Amino acid sequence: MKKWTKLAMRNIMRNKRRSATTLLAIGVGFAAITLFYGYMSDVYRGLRMSAVQGEGLGHLTIYKQGWLEKGKLDPERYMFSQAEIERVKRLAEEEKDVILATPQIQVSGLVSNGTVSMIFIAQGVIPKDDATIKGTWAALRPITGEPLSERKSYGVEVAHDLAKYLNLGPGKDGVVMAATLGGQMNAMDAQVVGVYDSGSDATNDKYMRFTFDFAQSLYDTRMAEKIVVLLDDWRKTERMRSVLRTKLSHAGIEGEIKTWNELSLFYTKVRAMFGMIFLFIFCIVLVIVVMSTVNTMGMAVLERTREIGTLRALGLKRRGVSQLFALEGALLGLLGSLIGAALHVTVWALIRAFPPTYVPPGASSPVPLTVALAPQAVVVLVFCLILLSLVAAILPARHAAGQRVVDALGHV
Amino acid sequence: MALIEMENITKDYRLGETIVRALRGIDLSIDRGEFIAIWGPSGSGKTTLLNLIGAIDEPTGGSLSIGGTEVRALSDNERSELRSETIGFIFQGFNLVPVLSALENVMLPLQIKGASAKVARQKALDRLREVGLSEFVDHRPFKMSGGQQQRVAIARALVNEPSLVIADEPTANLDSETARMIIDLMRQLNEKDRTTFVFSTHDQRLLDRVERLVRLEDGRIVDGGARS
Repeated sequence: MKKWTKLAMRNIMRNKRRSATTLLAIGVGFAAITLFYGYMSDVYRGLRMSAVQGEGLGHLTIYKQGWLEKGKLDPERYMFSQAEIERVKRLAEEEKDVILATPQIQVSGLVSNGTVSMIFIAQGVIPKDDATIKGTWAALRPITGEPLSERKSYGVEVAHDLAKYLNLGPGKDGVVMAATLGGQMNAMDAQVVGVYDSGSDATNDKYMRFTFDFAQSLYDTRMAEKIVVLLDDWRKTERMRSVLRTKLSHAGIEGEIKTWNELSLFYTKVRAMFGMIFLFIFCIVLVIVVMSTVNTMGMAVLERTREIGTLRALGLKRRGVSQLFALEGALLGLLGSLIGAALHVTVWALIRAFPPTYVPPGASSPVPLTVALAPQAVVVLVFCLILLSLVAAILPARHAAGQRVVDALGHV
Repeated sequence: MALIEMENITKDYRLGETIVRALRGIDLSIDRGEFIAIWGPSGSGKTTLLNLIGAIDEPTGGSLSIGGTEVRALSDNERSELRSETIGFIFQGFNLVPVLSALENVMLPLQIKGASAKVARQKALDRLREVGLSEFVDHRPFKMSGGQQQRVAIARALVNEPSLVIADEPTANLDSETARMIIDLMRQLNEKDRTTFVFSTHDQRLLDRVERLVRLEDGRIVDGGARS
């Protein structure tokens, strides 16, 4: 095998310019795929963090069966009672992979500065648990003022644009109004403790955050809409959903469990869009690699027809000729991939050293363009391109092997 | 038993609508150790006959056996094995692999046969020494003269210790002095190892040195078919 590999390598180097062009085509194609994959992976990671920590979805959200379908029409029927909240929390937090389980309630209504009123949607959260869920994310979107605190139960956080429109900065007072679950109008004084960036233009002018108790008081209830579960690793999401589903069922609680990605529509849509773009780029590169390899190997077969005849006359079987050319194709794939991997690492290092920023559609502030190194993807793609180049070389190789020895020897 | 037995061999080629009869009923027997030239005017069928004897082409009709094996009954793989085991080739244009050194070119037939690199290397070095090219083992063909390249080709043809060597116009591309050296070398090897040499040629110097001449005209043997 070593001798044939050596021969194949020398044959590749025979026409240096042509081989260099093919290797460059494969290398650039390889780098395009892996860099885009790395970018995509980092976007997914960012969106996952944004959904789990930023939006506070946690990894799993437990609803009472029927809430998602009919909860808005008859909320009290589909919300967790105080006793149920405690039971679900205990069942979830028994699992070692669960960091916490915390009740939440979403409320909506009007917020007024005394002169102007605007609609709001607010998440009622337990501040300590919310801080745990936010984790490192909190540093990425710092709050102007203070975060929510149990010490000031009437303190609220207001999203950036809503605060601007109502002129409600930290320390200012306002009034929030909403219909209770019983249908009565309720109004409560609130003091803005912090102003935050929700991360999206679409929500920055309507989002607020209350303490859980404050939100319950506004709706005049002691119930919770959902219980958010935070895990120690997002990769355990599906497994834990299944575990908790079984435990709830055994405990006689009719629950419905959604994962963070099922609840984050934005993540799902972006993922689907990137998936399509990736497939598109992959197909283009696939065509380039196949065409380059077929062209290079086809030319090689044409130029080396007499040599093929000589090798056959010396006793090399048809299969041997096929294997030699297929090996050359595979080596083109390998060398091209190595060039591509070097390009990938170079661009990755440059981006790390000088990270550019951009504002994604719908986002409220610039984000850094980052690319993951994605070593697994690089290794998988190396094997893919070797296989692809080998397959692309099969047609010319079969042509080379199929020639009659006398015809090949007589080729000029 | 003769090394080569040909009975009523015919070979037709199709050129468009026309069928060209390259060989028209060849009967030829060649013994082991013979040094035999096939000669005749251009288009008489010399190269076609050599291709058939070298098992790189198939006759249209008749019977051809090499070392007792009926060639027409063999599959393509079996013919490859027969060539690898029994036949060495020397081409007019040398046909060395340009990316391999002289030594690697000579090792090639052994490696095709599956010999280890160590064995192949030693045998190839011996053959290159025999043809006087010990100093040139690492040279690539393009750095060698025509005579040196043909000597590498001879070493390559003999490295497998074949019972038969086919040479198609081996001196056609060489100057007189080099051609004389190559003829001497082939004759020596023929006498030393009793390797059968069958070649086509127009070269009178080579024709003067052979022990048997087979003259072809219009695809038929007109002289020398039977041993004198």
